[in-house]
Amino acid sequence: MSVLVVQNKDERAAFDEVFLPHLPEAYRLAQWLAGNASDAEDIVQEAALRAFRGIKNFGAVNARAWSLTIVRNTAFSWLTKNKPRTVVFLNDLSAVEQQELEYEGLHGARIETPEEIALFKADTEEVQKALAQLPVQFREVIVLREINQMNYRDIAEITNAPIGTVMSRLSRGRQLLIALLGDRR
Amino acid sequence: MVVSLRDNDELQLNAYSDGELDPVLANEFERRLANEASLKARYARLLSLRQAVRSLPQLEIPANLQARIKSSLNAERSSNVTVLRQRSWSFQALAAAAVFGAVISSSVMMTIEQYGQREGVANQVVAGHIRSLLAPQPFDIASSDRHTVKPWFTARLPVSPQVPDLAAQGFALLGGRVDVVGQDPVATIIYKHAAHTLSLTTLRPGQSVSEQTIAGYNLRSWSDTDFTYIAVSDLPSTDLATFQRAFSAAAPAPEIK
Repeated sequence: MSVLVVQNKDERAAFDEVFLPHLPEAYRLAQWLAGNASDAEDIVQEAALRAFRGIKNFGAVNARAWSLTIVRNTAFSWLTKNKPRTVVFLNDLSAVEQQELEYEGLHGARIETPEEIALFKADTEEVQKALAQLPVQFREVIVLREINQMNYRDIAEITNAPIGTVMSRLSRGRQLLIALLGDRR
Repeated sequence: MVVSLRDNDELQLNAYSDGELDPVLANEFERRLANEASLKARYARLLSLRQAVRSLPQLEIPANLQARIKSSLNAERSSNVTVLRQRSWSFQALAAAAVFGAVISSSVMMTIEQYGQREGVANQVVAGHIRSLLAPQPFDIASSDRHTVKPWFTARLPVSPQVPDLAAQGFALLGGRVDVVGQDPVATIIYKHAAHTLSLTTLRPGQSVSEQTIAGYNLRSWSDTDFTYIAVSDLPSTDLATFQRAFSAAAPAPEIK
């Protein structure tokens, strides 16, 4: 019976209802993943096309997470194709390197975040630079959490990672940010 | 990975600041925050980092992007005529099947109706779980002692399930509450697995629902001779399957026992 419903529904109407409302958020996410506005536009356009072609696969559960998952995956494949040097994916690294990055910081050393780094003045440019500098695995969870304000469950779904991994990446990513911002003082 | 005490603090600190710590842990953590100056300082730092990230200026979406997407979809559509034709053929077949289906017997209709009712049950069970997570605590009676929870149920309900503590299997007993499904008060047992809360609602037998996800929560349902069980949690379905095995092994139906 559910098959009938999906077949019956105009795919374009479904797309308008499921994907379009999340366009501003999709653009924001793409912008942070790509690092600039024009790449973000290309990514969102391609993601929209993919969403339209795959609208029948939408499970009627969480339109927002579904849409952002497509944007995130499109951004990664787009970047791999068009800007292969700018992104390092965890999967490209050896197991040891992955372990180091995930659990021991940027350069294999433990991240030390001394207590004296206390509060951050909202120095926009510095924060923006530091965030852009984070490895993409950490950047994406922080952007999804702070800018898209998604919960852990949705972030796990979008990044296709277990919730535990999302938690450790958020924690690591924030420590890295703190360390980066601290270095600049 | 060996999680040092420090790492674990860091994880809890993050989860707490994100509002993702379950009520019991959050409570413990707040107590620690009040007493430990260095933890408090790290928490303040985390909040100021969040403030800094959230106040970053966001690019506005270009005004014509939506229009461009729409026109590219129109182009996509006309290039897909053959595909659409195939689809409309299969739609006709489905429509024919539906007409044929219109003469199905009333007993099948009954089944469909029951199915609808059962999905209603699933929604109510999930609603109970969500409500409990929003409450200060997810249970009416807090106890990790089965000999406290079981009598508490017995005193309130006509039938009450076995209440095994499955801490050894990774699911620690947290307590119990009474949910209302339809018009019936039913027993719900609450377990904790890592930072996740799991509600196990017990219904009269024969009401099992399909495995599904509602509002982001996974459901798993099974029955024995006395009860239909519906487990609800944000745990992945594989963990729910593990839980079912552990529960069934620990609480066999009395007849088999």
